[in-house]
Order: sequence, then C-alpha cells, then structure tokens
Amino acid sequence: MGAGEEFEPRIVAFLCNWCTYTGADLAGVSRLQYPPNVRPIRVMCSGSVDPMYILKALLDGADGVLVGGCHPGDCHYVNGNYKARRRLGVLGAILDEFGIDSRRVWFRFISASEGALFAQTVRDMTAALKAMGPNPARALWLA
Amino acid sequence: MKDLLIASGQDGREKALSRFLAKLLDVGAVDALVVPVEAAPGVITHVLAKDPRLVEEAARPLAPVMPSSAATLVSEVVRKRPSGRVAALLRPCEARALVELVKLKQAAPENVVAIGMDCAGTYDPVAYRQAAGNVDGLEFREACRVCQNPAPLEDGLPGITLGLIGLDDSEGIVMSVHERLDPAVAAVMEELGLASGEGAGRKRREAVQALVQERQEACDAFLKGARRGAATAEGPDPAAPGVSGVPGVPGIGAFARELAACTGCHNCRVACPVCYCRECVFDTDTFEHETGQFLRWAGRKGALKMPSETMLYHLTRMNHMSLSCVGCGQCEQACPAHLPIFRLFAMASRRTQELFGYVPGRSLDDELPFTTFREQELEPR
Repeated sequence: MGAGEEFEPRIVAFLCNWCTYTGADLAGVSRLQYPPNVRPIRVMCSGSVDPMYILKALLDGADGVLVGGCHPGDCHYVNGNYKARRRLGVLGAILDEFGIDSRRVWFRFISASEGALFAQTVRDMTAALKAMGPNPARALWLA
Repeated sequence: MKDLLIASGQDGREKALSRFLAKLLDVGAVDALVVPVEAAPGVITHVLAKDPRLVEEAARPLAPVMPSSAATLVSEVVRKRPSGRVAALLRPCEARALVELVKLKQAAPENVVAIGMDCAGTYDPVAYRQAAGNVDGLEFREACRVCQNPAPLEDGLPGITLGLIGLDDSEGIVMSVHERLDPAVAAVMEELGLASGEGAGRKRREAVQALVQERQEACDAFLKGARRGAATAEGPDPAAPGVSGVPGVPGIGAFARELAACTGCHNCRVACPVCYCRECVFDTDTFEHETGQFLRWAGRKGALKMPSETMLYHLTRMNHMSLSCVGCGQCEQACPAHLPIFRLFAMASRRTQELFGYVPGRSLDDELPFTTFREQELEPR
C-alpha cells in the first residue's frame, strides 16, 4: 500500500455450497455491483469450517473473514449452521482475548435467492473493514 | 452421603489409605486400581495394580505430584468397554477431565469406580524428583495455586470421595460413598467396618469452604493480571502490530512474542487430558507444503517464523479444547520451553466456558457445547 493509496481490505469468504455460494452466484449473474475485495471459497457447509481455517487466514494477514451459511431451518445437513454459530462464538471470544478484533469475522445467513443481500453484505463488510484499518497480523512475521 | 473415617495408624494416613486401597482389591470390590507409586525417592509414576500387597507396599496415593493426568491413563484402559471393574485414584482435576473424556466417548464409564480425593496442590515433578521428595522450599504449580476445585465435585463419576483438607496426618481421612455407586461395590465398602467420621467430616467441609474462597480470590487476581503479563513481555516488537481494537487487550503481537520460544514439540497436546483426537490435524499433510508456498509466505511478511504455525497451533487448540479445559496445567508442566500455556488457556477457557455457562467435568448430564445448539442464541439469528 503506497502513500495516498486507499486501503483495500482483503476478505476471505467461506460460503456454503447450498445457500450463500449460490447466492453469490446469483449476485454475479444478476450483474449486481459489489467491491472486488472478497475471495470466495466454496465449502459444503458453514458447519464444516473449522476455526483453524479462519485463524489461518487472519494470521496470514486477511483483513476479514466472512462465513456464509443457510438460514436457520434451511441447512442441507439439518443443523450445520447452528453448530457453526457456536464455533464462531467461541472463536470470537478467543480472538478478542488475544488481540484480534472479532468484528473482523462475520457470520451471515444468506440464502440462494438472496443475491442482493450477498452483494450488500460484501459492501457493508468492506466499508467496516476500511474503517477498522488493516489487520495488525498482516505484517506480524512472528505469527 | 455418610462420612466414614479411615483412621491413621501409627505410620500415618498415607499408609492407612494404601491399606484401604489394597483392601478394595483384596476383597474383590474392584478388579484393578490406577494409583501412583514411588519408583525411587521423589520419582512418582502411576501403575495399574492388581496385587494388593504391591499397593500396600509401594503406593503413594498422597504424593503431591501429578506426573501425568490419571484421566488419560484411565481412558487408555477403559476406552473399550472394560470386562473388569477398574478403580482410579483421581485428583479433582483428573476426575473432571475423565468426565469430559467420557462425554467425548474416550472412556466407558460403566465399570469405573472413581476414588476422588481432595488436593490442595501439586509440585512440579522434576523439582520434586530433584529434591528426592522433600517439599521444603517448593511451591505449588501455578495451576494449583489458582485452582478453585480443591475438592471433588459431587456429580462426577460415581465412586467414593476421600476428604483430606483441614485434617492433619493423625486425624485420618474422611471417606464417603456416592449414592449412585454400584450397590455391589457400596455393600463391600459398608463391610469394611469403618467408624463414623462425622466430626472430621464437618471440620473438613469448613476447611474446604475456606480454601475455595481463598482460591477464588487468587484466581480472580491471576486472571486480572493475565493480560498485563502479555503486555509487558520483553523484547522489541518487529511488526509493531499496534492496538488490538479491543480496550485493555494488548495486540496479537504481544502474544506472538510470548509464544515465540515455542519449539513446536506439541508436548502440551500430548499431556492435555482432554485433547483426544487419535490423529491431530497438525500431524497431517495439511501442514506439508511445497517449497514455493513457504517462500511466498516468507515473502509476504518479510520472514516466516520457524518452526511455523506457532500461533495457529495454540489458538486452534484453544478453539477445539478450551470448553473442556479443566485447568490442570499439565500443558505447562510438559512444556520444555516453560511457556505460560496454562495462563493463556485459562484466559481463553474462562471466556469460552462463560459463553455457554459450561463447567467442564461437573456432570455427565451437561451436554458438550459443540454437540448441541439452541434455536435462539448468539449472532446472527
């Protein structure tokens, strides 16, 4: 990031195959505009996202991590999204305790038909991360 | 639960307890017993004992060290449904860890008789060995000094409780049989003809209460100072990570510095009684990378700490296991680099256990938080 250049946050997004990934796809085919700061990774279920992968992204310098899953009751695997919510609750508590702001990690329920919500979520998250500034772990080679 | 008394003989209460434990084997109340023995002066290890004479002669049930958590050892013996009844002498933290292991399906509880004992604290086994068992001038481990559970919890695994706190060597040991203990075993206990320990029981309960209060204060003070410990870790900050964004919390760089001496031996994971995976993800090829990948990582930040993934390893272990952390401090005791792992885990587990009001090891009826969920909780909804 050179002088005068605006900080562009990098967001790693773990998107559930059945809902949010398809929602992101819909945003694309609907030609909705949203910031290109997000790097999507398709996963089978938000419940399959081990906190380790989110930590890896954050420690390697991602400015934010978005986890997208189905709405309650819609999980293809019955309750993976509820379990993800608990795991992410624990992750957030630990991140805050050890000096990474848990507001860098977003968990959102976005269905396959909510392309507009996906686009808006990325807009909101990009703006929030711009306001927060770069992830302090970005330059931390000890991590 | 009725208080009975294991009276001290002329050779003190530890010998009296050894005789009591030997008797349990002798009369067939249990088929085997996990108990500490002294192999050489100050050298304590556990054995799975069958021979009552061996227990009477070599057992050191009150040796104030915990070379490994007996929960791990019992789990090894009873992982498959045991054919015999296995008793184990368990400190409160070991008993709580065993409850967690049962919930994690790493131990079959049906034929386990838990002999829970009071524990005011243990010493570092290496220091204890070097002093040949002379504890003068030794200090309890940090985990023990802030332990809020010096007495066994009531709703753990069924068995018996041995009360020691507040009673001196000549006053003996208060013994009580859990109501949920297999009646066949309980009947044998009745037949041992122990005298009533009502007076000693009362004295012990008062002493336990006072100690718990003292420890709660020590623990509060410890956790309050825990973050300061990280903030004042010495050394220049190569990456100047700045503030964390969370008031009062030093940045992630402070914790990275604290853990920088980690050699990646993973002893903390081996010693941890509740870290149960047969194959840990950190031992898999998930972490075997091409040379180019390493060079890219090093290039991105200017350097890559080696051994790598230090922070990822510790933070991941906290995510996976802090809900079941019983605060035994075996992780720190096993650390060759003497890193403050107990303190860091205590900081994490306080937060994560608070999140679900979960008390690890309290009861088999409390569900593991990661195996269940509520419709309305946390965010988003």
